[in-house]
Amino acid sequence: MIFWQLFWNFLNIGIFAFGGGYATLPFLYHISETYNWYTFDELSNMIAVSSITPGPIGINMATYAGFKTSGLTGSIIATVSIVLPSLIFAVLISKALKKFRENIYVKSIIYVLKPLGCGLLSAVGVNMFINDFLSKNINIYNIIFLTILIFISLRKRLNPLFYLGVAAIYGVLAGMLHFI
Amino acid sequence: MTNISLKDIYIRFFRIGTLLLGGGYVILPLLQSEIAEKYDCITDDNVCEYYAISQSLPGVIAINTAVFVGYKLARTKGALAAITGMVTPAFLSIILLANLLTQIVHVPFVQNIFLGVGIGVLALLFQAVNEMWKKSIVDKGAFLIFLASFTALIAFKVFPIYIVISGIILGVIIGFIRSRRGAEK
Repeated sequence: MIFWQLFWNFLNIGIFAFGGGYATLPFLYHISETYNWYTFDELSNMIAVSSITPGPIGINMATYAGFKTSGLTGSIIATVSIVLPSLIFAVLISKALKKFRENIYVKSIIYVLKPLGCGLLSAVGVNMFINDFLSKNINIYNIIFLTILIFISLRKRLNPLFYLGVAAIYGVLAGMLHFI
Repeated sequence: MTNISLKDIYIRFFRIGTLLLGGGYVILPLLQSEIAEKYDCITDDNVCEYYAISQSLPGVIAINTAVFVGYKLARTKGALAAITGMVTPAFLSIILLANLLTQIVHVPFVQNIFLGVGIGVLALLFQAVNEMWKKSIVDKGAFLIFLASFTALIAFKVFPIYIVISGIILGVIIGFIRSRRGAEK
């Protein structure tokens, strides 16, 4: 039963998540709310681990979520089912790439789905901000640290490894100095 | 001319998958050096086109690109070899790390790291949203769509699939209007 649900949910992510790795987050967030497979807190760890390990982030997160749900079998099912729609779609349109790209309906759908995906990810981000930051470890040092990171991200696009590396060091220091 | 074997495709994508660290931004140069330079039937332009189309398809972008390249090299079998190669390093590293993490997550030192990393993740999400924003909010209509989907998820907790399906329907309607307009001109 759980395997079937896992298959169905991740198949849907493969079909409906537009916009790359982070676009799967709203779906993973919804899963955390619907089933007791993993908590919203664990989702933040999942993002961190997926961003520092080799491979596409979307695949890493699917494997991780599947693993949290039901171990090795779960991770295999989640990974296979998120990939399956890609295989079918891409093989189908391989024969008519140019036609697909220039089709007015395709263009219009992309025009809608891009800001829509941005809205969904923002909603997850705001929820995570409330859940992980405002309601937990709110103190002046954390606020300053987050503000600096966000300021840096506005100036320059950096590799996720940078943010997470700096943040890990910050966590260790904060723990040693007892202000986290 | 490199001999196209499924094993070769698998190994090349395994290598690309391993080097994909911290997001898909580096995939294009990797594909150019690992694929376009090695196989005669795929050029730099092909690779760029595959990557561009992959972004407008659902699912994981790197996987979509792998399917296109693999399919071009050796049909469905090639696509399967490419996907498997791309997925293997991601899968193995997560399994190893997830196992390790469940064992050490209760150590105070590790908990401190994750508390810090939690803040890093917020900055990471902010950057991701910012990147998407620049590419997607091109006019007032796009901004309204952004607001609608944001509100639907955060305030009404609408199932994301329903939000995306509504978006696809809206896209079809806009496409219909645009094509009618095109026909009139």
